[in-house]
Amino acid sequence: MKTKKSIFSRVLIVGLSLTFFTFSCTDLDEELYSDVTADNFFNTDEEFIAALGAAYEGLRGIGNHSNLWSINEIASDELVITTKGGDWYDGGVLIQLHQHEYTPDNGFFNNAWTQMYGGVNTCNRLIYTFEQLGTPEADAFIAELRAIRALWYYWLVDSFGRVPLVTDFTDATVPANVERQQIYDFVESELNAIIEALPTAKDASTYGRMTKWAALAIRCKLYLNAEVYTGTAQWQKAADDARNIIDNGPFNLELTYSDNFAITNQGSNENILVYPYDKVFATGFNWPMMTLHYASQGVYNFTAQPWNGYATVEEFYNSYIDPAQNPGPQGDVWAGLAQTPSVGTQDARLTNFIVGPQFNPDGTRATDPGHEANDPDGPPLTFTPQNNEIYPNGWRQGGARIGKYEYEQGGTDNMSNDFVIFRLADIILSLAEAEFRGGDAPAALILVNNVRARAGVDPFPALTEDLLFAERGREMFAEMTRRQDLIRFGKYGDAWWEKGPSDDHYKLFPIPQPQIDSNNKLTQNDGYAGSGG
Amino acid sequence: MSRFYLYLSRCTTVLLMMTASVAWSQSTVSGRVTSADDGSGLPGVNVLEKGTQNGTVTNADGSYSLTVGGDATLVFSFVGFLTTEVAVGAQSTVDVALQSDVTALTEVVVVGYGTQEKKEITSAVSSVKETDFNRGTVNDPVQLLQGKVAGLNITRPGGDPNGGFAIRLRGVSTFGANTEPLIVIDGVIGGSLDTVDPNDIASVDILKDASAAAIYGSRGGSGVVLITTKSGKAGRVSVEYNGSVAAESIANTIDVMSAEEYRQVPGARDLGSSTDWLDQVTRTGRAMVHNLSVGGGTPTTTYRVSFNYRGEEGVGKASGFDQLNARLNLSQKALNDRATFTFGLSTTSKDAELGFDEAFNYAIIANPTMPIYDNTTTSPTAGANYGGYAERDIFDFYNPLSIVEQTVNDKKETRFLVSLRAEYDFSDIVEGLTASAFYSQQRENDLAGAFARKTSKLGGGNGLGRAARGTEDRFNHLFETTLNYNKGIGTADLNLLGGYSYQYFFTEGFGMEGGNFLTDAFTYNNMEAALDFQNGLGEVYSFAHSNTLVAFFGRANLNFAGNYFVSLSARYEGSSRFGENNKWGIFPAVSAGVTLSNLVSIPAVNSLKLRASYGITGNQPSDSYISLQRFGQTGSFFFNGIYGPSYGPISNPNPDLSWETKAEFDVGVDFSMLDNRLTGTIDYYTRNTKDLLVGVNVPVPPNLFRETIVNIGEIENQGLEFAFTYAAINKANFTWETGINWTNYLSNKIVSLTSGELSFGEGGVIYRSGMGSPGQNDTELVRVKEGDEFGQLWGPVKEGVNDDGTPKFADLNGDGTFCDCDDDRTVIGNGMPKFQFGFNNSFTLGNWDLNVFLRGTFGHDLLNSYRGFYENNEVTTVGNYNIVNTEYYDPAITKAVVNSSHVEDAWFIRLDNASLGYSFPMTGGAVNKFRLYFAAQNLFTITDYTGIDPEVRYADRGDSPTNPNDPGDGLSPGIERRSTYFTTRIFTFGVNLGF
Repeated sequence: MKTKKSIFSRVLIVGLSLTFFTFSCTDLDEELYSDVTADNFFNTDEEFIAALGAAYEGLRGIGNHSNLWSINEIASDELVITTKGGDWYDGGVLIQLHQHEYTPDNGFFNNAWTQMYGGVNTCNRLIYTFEQLGTPEADAFIAELRAIRALWYYWLVDSFGRVPLVTDFTDATVPANVERQQIYDFVESELNAIIEALPTAKDASTYGRMTKWAALAIRCKLYLNAEVYTGTAQWQKAADDARNIIDNGPFNLELTYSDNFAITNQGSNENILVYPYDKVFATGFNWPMMTLHYASQGVYNFTAQPWNGYATVEEFYNSYIDPAQNPGPQGDVWAGLAQTPSVGTQDARLTNFIVGPQFNPDGTRATDPGHEANDPDGPPLTFTPQNNEIYPNGWRQGGARIGKYEYEQGGTDNMSNDFVIFRLADIILSLAEAEFRGGDAPAALILVNNVRARAGVDPFPALTEDLLFAERGREMFAEMTRRQDLIRFGKYGDAWWEKGPSDDHYKLFPIPQPQIDSNNKLTQNDGYAGSGG
Repeated sequence: MSRFYLYLSRCTTVLLMMTASVAWSQSTVSGRVTSADDGSGLPGVNVLEKGTQNGTVTNADGSYSLTVGGDATLVFSFVGFLTTEVAVGAQSTVDVALQSDVTALTEVVVVGYGTQEKKEITSAVSSVKETDFNRGTVNDPVQLLQGKVAGLNITRPGGDPNGGFAIRLRGVSTFGANTEPLIVIDGVIGGSLDTVDPNDIASVDILKDASAAAIYGSRGGSGVVLITTKSGKAGRVSVEYNGSVAAESIANTIDVMSAEEYRQVPGARDLGSSTDWLDQVTRTGRAMVHNLSVGGGTPTTTYRVSFNYRGEEGVGKASGFDQLNARLNLSQKALNDRATFTFGLSTTSKDAELGFDEAFNYAIIANPTMPIYDNTTTSPTAGANYGGYAERDIFDFYNPLSIVEQTVNDKKETRFLVSLRAEYDFSDIVEGLTASAFYSQQRENDLAGAFARKTSKLGGGNGLGRAARGTEDRFNHLFETTLNYNKGIGTADLNLLGGYSYQYFFTEGFGMEGGNFLTDAFTYNNMEAALDFQNGLGEVYSFAHSNTLVAFFGRANLNFAGNYFVSLSARYEGSSRFGENNKWGIFPAVSAGVTLSNLVSIPAVNSLKLRASYGITGNQPSDSYISLQRFGQTGSFFFNGIYGPSYGPISNPNPDLSWETKAEFDVGVDFSMLDNRLTGTIDYYTRNTKDLLVGVNVPVPPNLFRETIVNIGEIENQGLEFAFTYAAINKANFTWETGINWTNYLSNKIVSLTSGELSFGEGGVIYRSGMGSPGQNDTELVRVKEGDEFGQLWGPVKEGVNDDGTPKFADLNGDGTFCDCDDDRTVIGNGMPKFQFGFNNSFTLGNWDLNVFLRGTFGHDLLNSYRGFYENNEVTTVGNYNIVNTEYYDPAITKAVVNSSHVEDAWFIRLDNASLGYSFPMTGGAVNKFRLYFAAQNLFTITDYTGIDPEVRYADRGDSPTNPNDPGDGLSPGIERRSTYFTTRIFTFGVNLGF
């Protein structure tokens, strides 16, 4: 017979052991192993630098396909991506961009928008974080962050125009668009405030980062386009900033144009602001894939096969070799169907293009086994400046390809060349334009001819608006300035290859549809579906 | 004193004599056990001498023979029959006719944390017993149930031996979080099916509605599958061996042109040969299974040990696996039979060759005139640089045989599961009270290695070779305690359950990938030799994450006089994955039933039970840490001459993140009629899921990151399920049993995709799932729209063909032109099924047995990707690839644009498996069972679908899935991708032996 005491003790033991386990284990806090939270970050100097780096990270998209660079370039008369049979149709978005029939649901616009606002967001966040910290190291970075943010807003006011102005990271209200003038004013005031606080040295510590000269370059381009952005021209201010950079900045024109774009171009004296890509550490510069032919993989021994996309519009290419447009020493160039060399101007800037017959490293011709029946020379791979049509069966070998940045033998799909954002030649030509518009054509002519001399071509006897426009085109090919120039010179609505005349409202890109859908305070730009205007 | 001693010695003598007479009065009893219903002999009946451990089992004829002591009583017991005791007395022959159990509803069903008699169940629970499992070569436990349970759809498109099955219970009621049911193996919640060999499974119970699954709380939202493994039986030792060999071949693939047909097409690129590419990369597959199990025990100790070996050479060359699984189940009573300790240990070791599925994709679309080998450097198919395999310089094509022979893709899997349960019966202190404690630990380890030779065009690092090596370790342990109390109150029975559960998961892993090897000899076994690591081009990674689940649960079951049943349960559960403000949730359920046949006499009906239930279950997210604001490396930053990391936010915080909630109402009828020969179940369910866990795009200012995981949206499902079994003929020499189950999926609707200002998709609509390349990247195939049925396929409607060969599309918005935008596209199909059935017939004739199982699904469409890309005469299709040549091929079409003509009605009826066996009559001796059988799987499929497999696709895995266990995009059903393996047919020959 069991005693009460032994029953009780048995129950107690069992009960206690059960409850012991129960109440010790209701802890549901999450423990992180491979990530960090804000609590355990921002403790050391290296962490600050790493955090600052995030502000530049947003620039990494500038060298690949389907973002800001793509919409600027395909909508211009420089570059085009034709539909090659089953390749590159992609729902018609590329043709739409080229022909100025783009609509808000084109995915590239949303990519560009999120790319730019991602950058703005990061700058706002870091400015706020560093202001909270209040240490001198933190303050030193704030000027730099405001400059990066000004660059983003300069690109925003240039592409979408009427965008939300978001500067306060703690403000969680959903923003509405503001008018273009307001964004312009903001960029101007920001740059005015911080330009003197930025470093002026050009060395390893400032390479790839915002300096006073880079900020001046932004302001110069802002003033140059002021009439387009606000209706009020600011040629004098543009000229002043450009002169400041040319006279006081540590820059010179490189003797060889292509040195600015070489694989190891960090030594260039002409580049003012770059994004330092690297095929291992900072990938994303995909131009060899974007523009070269599938068989070019053998020509350069690439580890990946190119996609055969971007090609140059023939009229634009001809502006280099046609002696009537570009006087200079005559010699062998590739033109038209490129079966045999033609005679044309030997502009040093023809290094901008990969054109004509392509050869493998062992000297044999590269071949395109998938060529069309109507390809000018069949299997041998020849990039022909002449192209047949944009749709439906563009020649696979059609169009001069982008060769601006040097391609590496044995390279990967990412280049190590640093991407040039601002360059001295652009500032020189901007000064020329500002002076030309201000009435001083002879001074402008001298500057333009300096640039032409570096390119190895003859000086112009006199300067006209069209000549200035064309020279900018030749010098700044694929550097994301052509669309701006077309708009400023009033030529954006003109017809060109496979494009008819287009309406004025296309000068502003449409606010992307996903942004309109997720933010009911955003209104569409004039002329686009859903704008109400 | 002496008288006492005399008395004592007399007693002792008598005692001794009695014992002697007892000891030496052992006799042999024999006889035959038959069924009282029809007089047939019953094999396998346990015959036990009561009070001892002396027993035997009847042979195939029903005969037995046992040596017993004097005054013995024999106990005859067998499942489905009433246990009978017979005193031997002086007889030497004892024949017994066993009565079958009056109602089939006394069988026991496993429910959460316990068992319940079937007649008392008030929720929708389906049981599948071993005799009902699918037959043939079945390597994955889930496949045993395919088509057997109403409302449960198990699919594995194609026949990839290393591929997983998709399981959907009662349609799709979630898409962000876990869509698959919770698996519980012998009480281990979330146990891995890799630890269970199909031969070791005794029964599977599926908790279909919320009231049954609510006791599992935040993981029960998609249903619960309870697996019970075989355990030992007291009595004599039983040894079983099952072995089989099988041959597997291709059953169906898509029709493409032969070399002669291709040469006729204008623009064809004739490369000079005739090659059957699919033949080159496939072979007749072979499989072998050996299973040996030993079990037995005493009334206080039972055990079962089994060894299972499975090996398969897949139909695809360079694919297959080798696997050994060992399991021990041991149960021991102690402490005066009050305590029971149950110990389970299972370990699996698998060596798999996965191959690369791309080989089959390229084999199907390869130009049939292309030679296999080419050792030149200049011809259009020059392959001297590629190891002599012909290769072409076109977009997206690699020699399939080169992929098979020049690459390696291996995986070794180790699984380990151990569990211990201790139960104690407190009935001596408090009548009806038992307590239990349970602990289990599971560890899964994957070790993967992949390699491509320098000469391999796919993945070979462009002449440098490339290798990858990685491992992942998934660990979890579970601790549970429960208290159970049974009490009779008058005519009512009360059962109370209360418990606590704690489960902790930890996953970690690391890996590396790099190339540039001097030699191919190392494959992936010398990663140090990859020069990429020295050049900074190699990739190295490691990771870890964990999560915790804690719960308190309780249940009360009331049984009034065996006529009225009520069940109430609740689980209060917290998961570490939810946001700070919402870590805990409560999941209640209530159900009730009444056995009408006990109250009202209904002619021809033996039993009829009505039941209704309502319950709320939940679903937790599939990733940890998503409610937190996290920073991670977002790139590199060039600072002072070197590249360092740059850090930024990689998620937005959401402290309100909580579980998905599913409320379900179910009403059903269970009945049996015609002397219990016809039994059936009918269920109607309606379920409503709210607060689905999905990532929504948020405006880039002011949020930090472009996406936040939130609770948003609502889905509704309704359906009707039927299941009937009928023992049609039950004669001495011939039996026929038939069973059918079918499900009507009445509706599966997206009620809402918005919550306040947030919306998944823009304006209540999402378009997703691009067609892919070449050339159709931006074309979206699926629309998910608020207020519409789930599973819509989206695209333009083809009206005809234009003169230039482009398809002519309908102008749907009537504005005069076709705009190639959403205004001129519409719903062109729906990937979700409306109706599915499974139909089983079992026959026995003498010693022969035949089982045939048909199943089918109706009402779903499939988008045939192969046709959408390659069934046309477009310049690139003809010049680069082969042309798909189904009955729909139209040579006038010269542009590849996916449209309504590529969406096909994919109804099908399939003979899933059939088996024919012969059991040799055994007349005593060591062997008591010897059966040979022949089984065929996927014998034929009746369908109009021209693609590879008309099976439903619940989730889209894209064109080249790198991870076969990737669940895919649950929002995009209905697309047959180019990565679909062909379907296979398997013939198995096997033997079952019992000792």
